[in-house]
Amino acid sequence: MNRSSLVLLKTLLRSTSQLNIYRYGTDKKKKSRVIGNYIGMSVLYLMLMAYCIATCIGYGQIGITDAIPAICVITISIISFFFTFFKTNGYLFNFKEYDMLMSLPFEARTVAGCKFMYMYVKSLGWYLSIALSMMIGWGIYAKPAVLAYPVWIILSFFIPVIPMLIASFIGFVIAKISAGFRKTNIVQTILTFIFVLLVFASRFVIESVFKNGKGKEALESVHLYVDKYARIYLPIKWFENSVCRLKIIDFLLLIIVTVTVFVLIFIPVGKSYRKINSNLKNHAASKKYSMNDLRKRSVVNAIAYKEFKRMTGSTVYMTNAAMGELLVMIMSIAVLVVDIDKAIYTVLQGAPVTKEMLYPAVPFIIYFCIGMAATTAMTPSLEGKNYWIVQSLPITKKTLYQGKMLFNIYLTVPFTLFATICFCISMKTPFMTALLSIVLGLCLCAFSTAWGCVCGIKHMRLDWENEVEVVKQGPAVSLYLLPNMFITMALMVLVVLLGTKMDQNVLLGGLIVIEATLAALLYRKAMSLCILP
Amino acid sequence: MEKKAILEIKGYTKSYGEGKKAADNVTLTVESGDIYGFIGHNGAGKSTTIRAVVGVLDFSEGDIYIDGHSVKDEPIECKKITAYIPDNPDLYENLTAIQYLDFIADVFEIDEEKRKEVIKKYADMFEITDSLGDLISSYSHGMKQKLAIISALIHEPKLIVMDEPFVGLDPKASYTLKQIMHDLCDQGIAIFFSTHVLDVAQKLCNKVAIIKQGKIIDSGNMDDMIGNQSLEEVFLEVADEQK
Repeated sequence: MNRSSLVLLKTLLRSTSQLNIYRYGTDKKKKSRVIGNYIGMSVLYLMLMAYCIATCIGYGQIGITDAIPAICVITISIISFFFTFFKTNGYLFNFKEYDMLMSLPFEARTVAGCKFMYMYVKSLGWYLSIALSMMIGWGIYAKPAVLAYPVWIILSFFIPVIPMLIASFIGFVIAKISAGFRKTNIVQTILTFIFVLLVFASRFVIESVFKNGKGKEALESVHLYVDKYARIYLPIKWFENSVCRLKIIDFLLLIIVTVTVFVLIFIPVGKSYRKINSNLKNHAASKKYSMNDLRKRSVVNAIAYKEFKRMTGSTVYMTNAAMGELLVMIMSIAVLVVDIDKAIYTVLQGAPVTKEMLYPAVPFIIYFCIGMAATTAMTPSLEGKNYWIVQSLPITKKTLYQGKMLFNIYLTVPFTLFATICFCISMKTPFMTALLSIVLGLCLCAFSTAWGCVCGIKHMRLDWENEVEVVKQGPAVSLYLLPNMFITMALMVLVVLLGTKMDQNVLLGGLIVIEATLAALLYRKAMSLCILP
Repeated sequence: MEKKAILEIKGYTKSYGEGKKAADNVTLTVESGDIYGFIGHNGAGKSTTIRAVVGVLDFSEGDIYIDGHSVKDEPIECKKITAYIPDNPDLYENLTAIQYLDFIADVFEIDEEKRKEVIKKYADMFEITDSLGDLISSYSHGMKQKLAIISALIHEPKLIVMDEPFVGLDPKASYTLKQIMHDLCDQGIAIFFSTHVLDVAQKLCNKVAIIKQGKIIDSGNMDDMIGNQSLEEVFLEVADEQK
């Protein structure tokens, strides 16, 4: 890294540093929010570390300690790949201060490289938390040589880099292709969706290959999986050999290959960087507009429509908010055409669960896709510097947030209905159970909308530099997502178990009452938050 | 003082899809000591041209030279001697003003004494010295504009490119900026700026170009162009003729 890269990287990090806001800001509210953020993040880090250590202890107890290093690399690689892929547009391309940076005497490659390094440093804490806590868990059972620990620590800094570079390069290719089109945003969104679906599909392809080749053993043996992945992705092998067998060649290979890939990727990126950003940031004026009949909408619907246009106008927002809906759509069509019993057997990897047992879990399976992102958790913060527009409108905050909630309902309900009906047809669910599943699905949509709105209003942050900070890293989104995800996962298992002990319709009825009550309470809470200044 | 071409735009064309041209064969020259006004309606192509000059926007046809260096082939050389003040500066909001100015000074490798001297001089002129330790997010639009102007002057450029520099400035700051522009022009620095405030352009500029739908429709010395008329009258006449 040369001097100008270091200067730029230091400034990029400082410009988004909470510490800088705390040290130099005068707004007490902002300062206390910084402290709150630090505490919240520390709790999340600790939770993650505790989870990783506990997982490793579990691995140790079932006797697969030697697979931990590979599992560590696979986990970090997958997380870093997806984290980076969704951040590329917004951090690497199409960012706000592009004009300011590019008018300074920096090589395009330097700007792109520093933006990448910035992404890396900002997320390094998460990757190190996983790597170091897994090292502790592994150390307890493997009792390795002392030298293995510094080797593990050093390589922990390199593990996420290659997946991040691959994700950035794919983001670059998508941006390059989209930049050639008039509707760059739409093309970029579609390509992103296609790519994510391909990745999901490839997982099943890889697994089916394993199963075809090895039959039952593949399902039973973690080692076989790990070995297969290590053959596809060599850094797993290099890391394993470095820490388990202290092989210096593998240690050096991992470092050298990482650095080489970094250099190689930023040569083409640097060459096309200005062109891509020019095209992404500039749109030709459209052809002469002819005034057609303009449609009158109610105030709440007008806000919901504004939310729709806001979402479709941003690739980052769209790919995060609507990915679940797209997955559910594909899943729903798939369950209609494939044998549902085989599908259940494949997904649950042979667990003794019948389709009848899964009836009450269907709304939660669908919700697990759709409900993990609520536009209401993002959209209050996404107003950003345009917040004055809605503030200056002659409407109450209640109306504003009702409009935002209505949009989330418009987005989630049709997909929930469609998916529930498809699942019920495919699983031949009894009529009453199907009806109750649909009602429960709708209650979950209402719950997700209201819970998202509470999180969105309570943790509204308007002073962001980049949409990614709200959509992927915002406190409102984290607070909405994490408990929601864990509780939904737990409920999926719980309802299957309870469904075998009691009448499924009674169970669904009870859940409907609980979800509807929670949704109503959260709606009231959201409305009460609207009174606050 | 001997005049020298600092900015030469030769046949610059920026096309978008479907044959739409935001800038069409733009050609003009700004010499040292010139204050060159670039005027036109909204969407005429002023900012597109300015962004290409400062190396932000890619273009395929024509070329732009700054002090003899091609923007396409030697972008870094060009940027080292150019300063850019955008119409709506996107500064790092969570840095303090002094941290931001320090960053710019670091990029241009300005030594500590020099940067202190220049920052103090211009911060005093714009009366923001006391606020340099505050976060930029607490600044008003006008203060951000003043900060962007100071950051542009740190490295003593040969060419200053400004996009609507007077927008958001209070009357006193506008006056200060005009004084600075005159001083810089006396030192032989070339200034190329876009504006909608035609009476300011008339008083300030010695040269002017009018752009419409991406094409330069008139350019030259201010006195030759306007004669006994005002720049506003000339602009409206010329723009209407082209309809």
